[in-house]
Amino acid sequence: MKIAMIGWEYPPFKAGGLATHCYGLTRNLSDKNVKVYFFMPKTKHKTSSDKKNLEIVEVGETEIFPYDRPEDKALAGQFFVAVHQYNQLVIKKVKSVAKKAGKFDAIHCHDWLTMEATIKLKEELGIPMILTVHSTEYDRSGWIYPNQWFIDIEKNGMQKADLIIAVSNFTKNVIVEKYGINPDKIRVVHNAVYPIPEGQKKEIVLFLGRITIQKGAEFFLKAAKKVLEFEPDTRFVVAGSGDMLPELIENSINLGISNRTIFTGRISDEEVKYLYGISSVYVMPSVSEPFGITALEAISAGTPTIVSKTAGVSEAFNNCLRVDFWDTDEMANKIISLLRYDPLHRVMSCEGKKEINLFTWDRVADKTIDVYNEVR
Amino acid sequence: MTSVCMYFEVHQPMRLKKFSVFNIGDKNNNYYFNERLNQEIFEKVVNKCYLPTNNLLLDQIRKHDGKFRVSFSLTGTFVEYCKKYSPEVLDSFKELFKTGAVDFIEETYYHSLSSLFEDMDEFQNQVNMHHNMIKKTFNYRPRVFRNTEAIYDNRIAKKVSEMGYKGIITEGTEKILQWRSPNYLYKPVNSDIKVLLRNYTLSDDVGFRFSAKGWPGHPLTADKYANWMGNAEGDLINLFMDYETFGEHHWEDTGIFRFLEHLPGEVLRHNHMDFVTVSEAVERYQTVGEIDVPWAISWADADRDVSTWLGNDMQRACFYEIKNIGEKIKRNEQNDLLHTWRLLQTSDHLYYCSTKGLEDGDVHKYFSHYDNPYDGFINYMNILQDFKQKIR
Repeated sequence: MKIAMIGWEYPPFKAGGLATHCYGLTRNLSDKNVKVYFFMPKTKHKTSSDKKNLEIVEVGETEIFPYDRPEDKALAGQFFVAVHQYNQLVIKKVKSVAKKAGKFDAIHCHDWLTMEATIKLKEELGIPMILTVHSTEYDRSGWIYPNQWFIDIEKNGMQKADLIIAVSNFTKNVIVEKYGINPDKIRVVHNAVYPIPEGQKKEIVLFLGRITIQKGAEFFLKAAKKVLEFEPDTRFVVAGSGDMLPELIENSINLGISNRTIFTGRISDEEVKYLYGISSVYVMPSVSEPFGITALEAISAGTPTIVSKTAGVSEAFNNCLRVDFWDTDEMANKIISLLRYDPLHRVMSCEGKKEINLFTWDRVADKTIDVYNEVR
Repeated sequence: MTSVCMYFEVHQPMRLKKFSVFNIGDKNNNYYFNERLNQEIFEKVVNKCYLPTNNLLLDQIRKHDGKFRVSFSLTGTFVEYCKKYSPEVLDSFKELFKTGAVDFIEETYYHSLSSLFEDMDEFQNQVNMHHNMIKKTFNYRPRVFRNTEAIYDNRIAKKVSEMGYKGIITEGTEKILQWRSPNYLYKPVNSDIKVLLRNYTLSDDVGFRFSAKGWPGHPLTADKYANWMGNAEGDLINLFMDYETFGEHHWEDTGIFRFLEHLPGEVLRHNHMDFVTVSEAVERYQTVGEIDVPWAISWADADRDVSTWLGNDMQRACFYEIKNIGEKIKRNEQNDLLHTWRLLQTSDHLYYCSTKGLEDGDVHKYFSHYDNPYDGFINYMNILQDFKQKIR
């Protein structure tokens, strides 16, 4: 089987869970004898593959972070132009590769950024199109003023796709209800994780993710305030960057907890792993979260995790605590309980790591191959 | 002759209300139980199970002139529920008892794990409370004892025997029987009491598998089931199950009531079979061998031990906490706290904290009102911390 996969990001260039997903998926597909051509924008990081069946094809030269919501109109304009240009280059590149490598069995893209090229290629090359939806405009906007321009692009891609892979039932429902797509052409494949080693635990409660409206970091700070009234020695780490970072730092000062809160800004993969390892509690208070691989990463590092009830991971994973993202009292109750009650912490950590073993990219690849076989 | 001994466990726990760490130490927050949820669940089960099944059993007992006989174990908390929300359920049990074909079994009033405390005084207190409750309600003294979820070991058997009971019920697991059949009475190695062993295969055919479409025995009809029992060897087939099997675990549309309705007639069609109550079973039959149970067993989960309640660190932490709280309450003679302390001992609170996976986990989830065992633990432990502060 031969697949053209149109990507946007890939380790070491990484803005979100999309990169992690593409990495785990393509490597495991290639191990299962699926020949994958992975097309991605050329970046200043050099990306290569050590797998026989996986070829990374770099296209043009762009550097765009798809998940930041461009506030600045001028910048936003550049961004859309860059996306369009990348798509045009992808079309050319895929065609030229197809000439040499022969006909692809399917073309597979992720989210809206590369839909333009994928639709065009599906039509011109006459091959089936698979679309994986990792997030929708509704998620990224935190369900506040979603941008119709993105929604239209997404909807068009969903309609044109032969089959859609959603990363959760939660996302499947959004695709059905908000985009009017027939549920029969949607398959749910939950994400997976490469386990992270456990470190020496400290009294740290961790938030990690883009600091955008989608991720709900402000609720994390509100809960932190309540926790500190009862457990004053706790430290709160907010790791990551994003458009809401300045506002959030100001929040922590206004709440009077800036001395117990650390903002790391953007950090390296190594630092991320270290933080997962030493944290006692991980909180993912996302307003909207199609899946939430970071929760699996934290749990794999033995860190008990509290996730938003609306996160896809909460429907797939048993050994975690669930809260409504706005219910900061309950979030604080759970954080304090995890800090106070050792047996709770121990059991969650241990059972969580056991359950993590079920969430492998091997399984994701198997399920994705099933989808390829359906359209062949 | 092979006797069929049917016994039903009838129990409802007092479920806890939502209690966060912020409620700990709040003097205005003295009541730990979720009255609304408890009433709602109880009334649901009354209508789906207790009343319809009681009526069905009453009809069958009358129809067969008392040849159809059953036994019940009613917990103290269940009877409290009846008095509070549904006196007609208690009346209906009295009606059943009046037929003479119904027996009652002793247990701890609170359906607790007090038998596992190293000091057995509290256990004895709770058994006595149950004894007085049955005496007062039905003017009857049970002769056979069944511990919470059939938890049993040599120590418990000895204690129960010393308390004057003629029989004790537990699980017919291979762990204690090896090659032997559960369809006989046995005797503990260390005391003089008859042990009735649950035939778990036949009991679970009804209790768990009745509505499982993938099970080869499905659909289970009364005549098929009676034939299985007719072919079984032994004196006594002990069918012990949750009363909620009827109408609640298996809904009416599975045909469970029709099954129960036809069962007495189908069994009695076999000339070599009859029904006995638990008291009659221990009077009529002799023990055929000894069982030695140094470690506690039970009828719960696939493990058939106490890991259902004490299997993880969270459960053990709560168990020790509740035990220590009790010792302090008794030392201080704060008798006003005893009832609440005992309600908190009901084994269900620990059951909700079980993290056992796969098949059992699904069962636990079905019975729990918490999102997961961790929520169950947080709530229970918060309450225990608050309760601890009420001790002088």
